[in-house]
Amino acid sequence: MHSIFSRINNVSAFLSSCMMALLAAIALSSFVFTADPHGDLAISSIKVVSSNARRYPNKKQDLAFVHFNVTADLTPLFHWNTKQLFLYLEAEYTNKQGVKNDVVIWDRIVRRKEDAVINFAGKNKYMFRDISSTFKNSPPASYSLKYNVMPYVGLLTYGEAARTTEAVAFPPTQSRL
Amino acid sequence: MFTEELKAFKRLGFRHVLLQVLNFASVIASGLMIWKGLGIITNSESPIVVVLSGSMEPAFYRGDLLFLTNPANQLYQTGDITVYKIPGADIPIVHRVLETHDTKPKQSSKTASISAVPLSRQRLLTKGDNNYVDDIELYKGLEWLERKHIVGKVRGFLPYVGYVTIAMNDFPQLKYALLGGLGLLALIQRE
Repeated sequence: MHSIFSRINNVSAFLSSCMMALLAAIALSSFVFTADPHGDLAISSIKVVSSNARRYPNKKQDLAFVHFNVTADLTPLFHWNTKQLFLYLEAEYTNKQGVKNDVVIWDRIVRRKEDAVINFAGKNKYMFRDISSTFKNSPPASYSLKYNVMPYVGLLTYGEAARTTEAVAFPPTQSRL
Repeated sequence: MFTEELKAFKRLGFRHVLLQVLNFASVIASGLMIWKGLGIITNSESPIVVVLSGSMEPAFYRGDLLFLTNPANQLYQTGDITVYKIPGADIPIVHRVLETHDTKPKQSSKTASISAVPLSRQRLLTKGDNNYVDDIELYKGLEWLERKHIVGKVRGFLPYVGYVTIAMNDFPQLKYALLGGLGLLALIQRE
């Protein structure tokens, strides 16, 4: 009855259920931390430039160049089950064909609490283009800074840290930067 | 070492062997039922996946386990981490949504029902956190990713556990040894 095999079996089964319970407790504990930090986001300038499309070199495609300032203190989001933050800045607008667009134009991965005070001024990292190839007559876009808290174990959570106070219009297209 | 076990095996008789086979089969069947049941609840063909590449590092490493859902009445949003499968590619890819473009479906009075507001047609672009460029090159000629390509979005995360399956894929001998060992134990065990 108490063979070496059954002992090993019992001990490993007990250890793995303890491990699972511990992991579940850690995952649940992150619901206790409900920080909702807010920062500021301002768009300093936008330029729309006509350029060549990526896949079709003889088709024209408008690209928007957005310069922005973002400041936010996201340290409250770091608790014992936070592995990293994924921050992303997105533009939201509905173009004149009625297509609702969300486009991420900048992102940053924050892995340490010390780096969680964001103070960044710069321009978009990813190409910002409309699906219809032009921003002409497009209504103004609003911009927001969002975050994704990624845990060591458990559920991923999302939130919004900053938003422009009013929508920012696209300027007329220029032929060169 | 095994003579003792073999003797015991002979003593137990045919009925006992059949009973053990039945037990073994019920374990496998309940595993399959749990998997398919999870698939129905989460509306995803594969509700648990193992990360196979490093394109989402440092968030997900090889061997991490991801839990997916695919709510039928929700659109995907930027920042969601989706698992998608391009027709013709054999491995599903875990990448983050970079762009969404939602087109409202055309209102037609004939098909308009009270309950179901049809979802917008969604065109998506994704990118791996650890990659410098977006995924257009991975789409095999498609311009945008669409809902039908997506297996689910990541909701939960458990590190390392999936490494067992990666190890079994890399060393097939391990897989056969494990399966054979388990089968033998199931037959020999006396309780």
